[in-house]
Amino acid sequence: MSSTGTAFDPQTLESLLTDGGKVLTAPDDLASYGCDWTRIYEPAPIAVVLPKSTEEVQAIVRFANEQHMALVPSGGRTGLSAGAVAANGELVVAFDRMNQILDFNASDRIVQCQAGVVTEQLQNFAEEQDLYYPVDFASAGSSQLGGNLSTNAGGIKVIRYGMSRDWVAGLKVVTGSGEILELNRGLEKNNTGYDLRQLFIGGEGTLGFITEATMKLTRQPTGLTVMVLGLNDLTNTMDVLQAFRNKLDLTAYEFFSHEAIQHVQQHAEVQSPFETEAPYYALLEFEAISDGVLEEAMGIFEQCVESGWVLDGVISQSEAQAEKLWQLRERISESIAPRTPYKNDLSVRVSRVPEFLQEIDSVVQKEYPDFEIVWFGHIGDGNLHLNILKPEDMEKAEFFRRCETVNDLVFGIVERYEGSVSAEHGVGMVKKKYLGYTKSEAEIAVMKGIKRVFDPNGIMNPGKLIDSE
Amino acid sequence: MKVLVAVKRVIDYNVKVRVKPDNTGVDLANVKMAMNPFCEIAVEEAVRLKEKGIASEIVAVTIGPKVSQEQLRTALALGADRAIQVETDDEVQSLDAAKMLKAVVDKEEPNLVIMGKQSIDTDNNQTGQMLAQLAGMPQGTFASEVEVEGEKVKVTREIDGGLLTVSLNLPAVVTTDLRLNEPRYASLPNIMKAKKKPLETVSPADLGVEAAPRLKTLKVEEPQPRQPGIKVESVEELVDKLKNEAKVI
Repeated sequence: MSSTGTAFDPQTLESLLTDGGKVLTAPDDLASYGCDWTRIYEPAPIAVVLPKSTEEVQAIVRFANEQHMALVPSGGRTGLSAGAVAANGELVVAFDRMNQILDFNASDRIVQCQAGVVTEQLQNFAEEQDLYYPVDFASAGSSQLGGNLSTNAGGIKVIRYGMSRDWVAGLKVVTGSGEILELNRGLEKNNTGYDLRQLFIGGEGTLGFITEATMKLTRQPTGLTVMVLGLNDLTNTMDVLQAFRNKLDLTAYEFFSHEAIQHVQQHAEVQSPFETEAPYYALLEFEAISDGVLEEAMGIFEQCVESGWVLDGVISQSEAQAEKLWQLRERISESIAPRTPYKNDLSVRVSRVPEFLQEIDSVVQKEYPDFEIVWFGHIGDGNLHLNILKPEDMEKAEFFRRCETVNDLVFGIVERYEGSVSAEHGVGMVKKKYLGYTKSEAEIAVMKGIKRVFDPNGIMNPGKLIDSE
Repeated sequence: MKVLVAVKRVIDYNVKVRVKPDNTGVDLANVKMAMNPFCEIAVEEAVRLKEKGIASEIVAVTIGPKVSQEQLRTALALGADRAIQVETDDEVQSLDAAKMLKAVVDKEEPNLVIMGKQSIDTDNNQTGQMLAQLAGMPQGTFASEVEVEGEKVKVTREIDGGLLTVSLNLPAVVTTDLRLNEPRYASLPNIMKAKKKPLETVSPADLGVEAAPRLKTLKVEEPQPRQPGIKVESVEELVDKLKNEAKVI
């Protein structure tokens, strides 16, 4: 839905912002606030509003209901599914100015944040309290908490700490009908019927906007140690995972292909982990709380070499080295960004990963013989990122068209394996038409019913996740 | 030729250092320790000399408590052939360290001693120079390039506004600067092989040196926290603040 009411007047809107919020209409602001990391749709919002408080967000939502205006939420704009793209004259509600940490309770180990708090800001705050916020990913320096929760962001520590959802103790939201709801109020246990909090987590702003979140913190990990292993074959990733998981609690298990490392090294000065060239790599991290744990890890490594799964490996000798080794994995996305990658974010149950990988790999090799493929992923969670790079001499439209023809093949395999077409990137506009490969018609119908309850006029991030009727 | 490399166990470069509440030093309890970054560069340079066929044997040496064997094992994994630990739980200041290293030099008779220009814990930057004096060897400090040519070693040093190249007669002492090389990672197979390499332990007394601190730490304090920035409302306010508060215009 685009703006169809009376002519939009930025001053009327600004007069409703009694806590110091602002309205922006300059073309530069519209272009930058109107899109995320996807480059498929042209941003075209009517204006950008930057509220300072939950009450201002409520005023904006009420205004939008009166004016029949569509709203698009905007956080750090690092999304990969066009969930925060305003391409149809919508009003963008950006949370940049709601970036305060409001309260911290050491005995509850919870921290109350406004939605615009940047992930890294929360991580640093936790560290200052000798605690830890464990959700982490490459875009933590710009992504905002509200966006993380609206997409239930995952990242590199899911194998040990779960998704963003697992760290939410309470939410304050403004629904599409303009109600302020305080959900769960920081309670650990609260069995009083429907847990509405969970609907807003991963709801992509289609039911309402998260304005505050009370997040749980945990103890800091100690002695985090990183190993990077060179693997012989794609399926060995799971053998190695099993071997380590049987004896150690891993805090991360990532994999990437040799092509991925090559892109990182062309893009930045990042050292090769070892001289032996391997087609695939696994990066694993664990807490080396004692020498015994290190000995155990060495023993497992030896066993993996003897089994022929692992060709070579390194282990961090300091935190500085651990950080450098992580760069091999964390800088992949930015290093391939100039090649307009078509990103697939697939997941299946961990036990099904080896067969699934082989099937996808053979389809991809058959269908994309002229395309460069970069594999990486949080394989310990059953989550794979399959990136297809645009050949430099191919038009963007032609490239996306060809990627979409193969999507049906790839997603057909996902459906057979009862997997997900979007493990952690969300649905937005990019994956909307493929939702049916993961969710049944009946499920989608229920989702639409829920949307009508919270957002009767269909003004909250329309056209994302599901089409309202 | 034989190369002696000195390495030191220090607080991990990435750890946020905290001052003890009584201001007597920094808190080292349960803090991650690692090889001093300049020493990593020294080990790497020695290993490269060996890979080029110039060095025939690399001996790593450290001074410190028993746990500092971890850093010797790292040096062995990176390519040192054997290691010597001068084991002591006492505080060892630069001059005493230089005397102990001199005793090791007398015993091992290396052609080249490579060590970090300083350790990141106390930042003294003097042990290498003191050792060179005590052992009567020429010194090439802050090396950004090291080239062994026959009986001489050519050391390029980064100085203000340019490079200074010195040529030293061997045996000599070289201390490493950050740009000399990029140290490799210790590979897991090499870490396992390193466990079987010889590691000899001696005491300061065995070397005829008694640690006698000459400096006393009076107080360790956190740096002053930086004042947070503010936003001004107008150009006039900015000019006023620059004039009357900052007094820069």
